[in-house]
Amino acid sequence: MIVKLIGASLILIVCTVIGFEISSRYRQRPKQIRQFRTALQALEAEIMFGHIPLKEASIRLSKQLPSPINQFFDHFSRLLDISDIQVKTAWNNSLENITGFTDLKKSDIEILSQFGETLGKHDRYQQQKQIKLTMAHLEREEDEALDLQGKYEKMVKNLGFLIGLLIIILLI
Amino acid sequence: MLTIHLYGIKVVLERETYMQSVLSFLPKKIATLLRDLPSEQLDSIEEIRIRIGRPIEISTGSSYTLLPMVTSTEDASVLLNQLTRFSMYTMEEELKRGYITIEGGHRVGIAGKVILDGGNVKAIVHISSYNIRIAKQKIGCADSLFPYLYSDSWLNTMVIGPPQSGKTTLLRDLARKISEGDERKRRIALKVGIVDERSEIAGSVMGVPQLHFGPRIDVLDACPKAEGMMMLIRSMSPDVIVADEIGRSEDAESVMEAIHAGIKLMITVHGNSLEDILKRPTISHIIHQKVFDRFVILSRRQQKDFQYIILDETGRKLSLERSGLR
Repeated sequence: MIVKLIGASLILIVCTVIGFEISSRYRQRPKQIRQFRTALQALEAEIMFGHIPLKEASIRLSKQLPSPINQFFDHFSRLLDISDIQVKTAWNNSLENITGFTDLKKSDIEILSQFGETLGKHDRYQQQKQIKLTMAHLEREEDEALDLQGKYEKMVKNLGFLIGLLIIILLI
Repeated sequence: MLTIHLYGIKVVLERETYMQSVLSFLPKKIATLLRDLPSEQLDSIEEIRIRIGRPIEISTGSSYTLLPMVTSTEDASVLLNQLTRFSMYTMEEELKRGYITIEGGHRVGIAGKVILDGGNVKAIVHISSYNIRIAKQKIGCADSLFPYLYSDSWLNTMVIGPPQSGKTTLLRDLARKISEGDERKRRIALKVGIVDERSEIAGSVMGVPQLHFGPRIDVLDACPKAEGMMMLIRSMSPDVIVADEIGRSEDAESVMEAIHAGIKLMITVHGNSLEDILKRPTISHIIHQKVFDRFVILSRRQQKDFQYIILDETGRKLSLERSGLR
């Protein structure tokens, strides 16, 4: 009997944890998109008012921003030390580097990667336009992500617990 | 090898360091190609010209050599990335003027497609030619002139010469010497203000002069001369103002202003002789006021030497034609 009880509670715990994990992805994605938007806004200020080169700007951003976005800029600024590299390559490589530990979707990454294509190649006003455009795209993604969060976050959380219960009932 | 005294500390400059800072900027392929050149040839390079789709040219002023490597678009874009430090947006002013000053005081001239805005040059895009002019500071090149230009105090001096005769090189060394003073304290170091419209005298990067000067130096980088001279007079209380290529009428006004404010001037003017520049209305106006005490006339240099004659305020020769190490 005791063995059965322990087994049942283990199943319940595991299912609940899985539910929480999946629901946290729904919560994290809009948060990380927002962090990227904050980062772009800060980058815009560095470019428009500070005239600061990309490398120095990235180092500053990596110090100001919360994890995991700071790791992106840290990696990016390091890559810019390589002499024969292109900004595009460094940017994309840094994006690939963080996909493992962020909850951003492919479409979010795609927007950011497109932004990398133009980075550092234009004058200040062009650069500002590109940043504004990317911010607008990201805002749309964030809205979508918030929508999904509202719809599924609670549900997935409950679903994990309930599936656990279902398995226990079926096994008994 | 070159020994100079910087703030009383003996500094040994190796000649290669000039080249080293340039090579670190170039794409690897081009840098290796240049490193393989014999060291005398590498030392004598004055310009490295890189053009998309054409062989690399190195020139020594009087002669040129084409290197067996054609620059590709990728090489050029790597070079541009290095020059702008991956950030075109920090170079707007530079792209408008057509050159970028890099660490070490070297200047990179650029040419390509020009974009206009209301009839004025807005920027150069699609850059196809780069001309890297190596800054070689000839420390001590003005030494033999000092006896003529100094009596109790520095005299207002105008350096006259055709292009590539070494006017700016001479002016730079004068500025260094004045701001450094004399080791035996016969001449004390004076506050020198440089108005460096074309970033050529001090070769500043982010406002910091890259070439060697004494401790008492202030540089207004990339500032129009006329305005710059007035700004220095108002705010920096210089003893001596150094400016390059005086020519426009507003420059002349500022020159008079500075002299009447009791500031000594060291300036250069384009021209072959004193008679030559007297034909230019703005300059002849200044000269007729008899405010300049010394004229140094440079003639186009032969090999590495430069040749000069010094005239006093009335146009009388003070020295025979001489040549010094340039």
